Amino acid sequence: MNNNPVIISYAATPVGRLMPKPGEMIEQFEHEILSDLVISAVNDTGIDKADIGSLILTSPTPATQQLGFATFLAARLGLKCQGQISDVNNMGITGGLAFDQACNDVSNGRAKFSLALGIEYSTSASIDVMMDRGIRVVGDVDFQSPFGLTPIAWYAFDADRYMYETGVTREDLAHIAVKNRAHAALNPLAQYRTAITVEDVTSQRPIVEPLGLYEVSPRSDGAICLLVCSEDTARALNKPYVRVLGRGFAHDGYHQIGDHHHDMIAFPAAAEASNTALKQANVKIDDIDLAELYAPCTITEVLVSEAIGIAERGTASAIAKDGETALGGRLPVSTSGGCLSRGHPPGLTALYGLAELYDQLLHKAEQRQVKDAQLGMHICELGNYNAALTHILETGR
Amino acid sequence: MTLEIVKREGERPLAPRESTFSRDFWSRLSAGEFSTTQCQVCKHTMFPPAQHCSVCWSKEMLWVTLSGKGKLYARTTVHAAPSIFQAQVPYSVGIIDLEEGIRIIASLIDGKDKLKNDEAIQLIVLSYDDGPLFAVRRM
Repeated sequence: MNNNPVIISYAATPVGRLMPKPGEMIEQFEHEILSDLVISAVNDTGIDKADIGSLILTSPTPATQQLGFATFLAARLGLKCQGQISDVNNMGITGGLAFDQACNDVSNGRAKFSLALGIEYSTSASIDVMMDRGIRVVGDVDFQSPFGLTPIAWYAFDADRYMYETGVTREDLAHIAVKNRAHAALNPLAQYRTAITVEDVTSQRPIVEPLGLYEVSPRSDGAICLLVCSEDTARALNKPYVRVLGRGFAHDGYHQIGDHHHDMIAFPAAAEASNTALKQANVKIDDIDLAELYAPCTITEVLVSEAIGIAERGTASAIAKDGETALGGRLPVSTSGGCLSRGHPPGLTALYGLAELYDQLLHKAEQRQVKDAQLGMHICELGNYNAALTHILETGR
Repeated sequence: MTLEIVKREGERPLAPRESTFSRDFWSRLSAGEFSTTQCQVCKHTMFPPAQHCSVCWSKEMLWVTLSGKGKLYARTTVHAAPSIFQAQVPYSVGIIDLEEGIRIIASLIDGKDKLKNDEAIQLIVLSYDDGPLFAVRRM
């Protein structure tokens, strides 16, 4: 018996604008958009919907009107799950946790099929609704939030310290944004697909210095559903699939920063989670054909790449410039376009990243296909990469 | 050692809450003293002040006064902020490493030149109408 979890199918809307503008006629409510995706992902495999035993939803953002969404959606879809119905929410790691939980439900036998899914609205949301919550999530509300630190301000600290310690410049970091935009140009799900230059990146208005508009994530809506089952079930269906070969989680013990001097830009949780997953998969980082990273800013991709051994410290932007982490290079990173260009609905970003690996590992990625891709790594995080969750996926055969 | 106290008009954009425990920190700060707690069992000093030690979970804590001297570890200037901070935009914030080994967040008072990484800084108290906050300036 092989209860190892696999992704058998997914359906997603392009990342971008789904949320109605104030006063605009609503074409579809949130649950209707998501229901269409569930039906599409399930119908792709021809399975009986009665075999769906669990539904793990990413908690909707404050801008999504419907609450109690998980059971609401299950009722609309006529699902009576015996495994579980729940929603999960833990900052940026949310989508990864939804997937991980869906994998658990399949591998421990609670569900024959499990859905990891969500919808997120932010493009027309009031900045205050988003940010007032954001500053309370990413800091101690009594001893840090009063100084006005927004979520991405913490990544700005990373960029400032990294540039100081390594001598890497803002122009160097911009190559990450340029590379990822070139990837997004080939991704029909991506929000921003027009090519940009280093000059375009560095000339944008500042958002959180030293980072400007093109070095931080855009606001994005999205909706996506991944269908998970066991390897035995997938084989019986005779459908292509990608298997989960390794999983790892680690927390560095901090909330953004520790209260003692430490190397803020080392991202030890990313290294530990990835080493755990690599060990479980019995592969090395050099065996990985491509990596999808949860990286809301240019600097974040740099620091994760360096933490997990894709690049030596101080070199991640240089190897992006040289094409080593671009399509066609040694180890392409963020072939979807990543948070910056594919777009970043934070709770769903990990699910979109996993979907990118699904397409790549089944050689369905068309123009952005990584040649002969067999092994992919996905990492998502929360805080300042205080916690990281790594999945290693492999082409099923 | 007493910190410089600088008067600020108006109220703090986002006032810290005070508990019967944490208000000691804020009242000491109002008087020009930057304090925190030290565990009497394992001697771990922490920030923010806490009623239990994060290392050994002892509840035997004593208030200690810190020098207020340290270095700037990292900085940012925020241009996109929620409306409660809009009147301050752009504002600068730093991660400060104090000489006692403690790492904190504080507002930056740059003066004529921007404070630089690893530059020596000194904590000061910003005295608003509704209570204090702390910030750093060049040493």
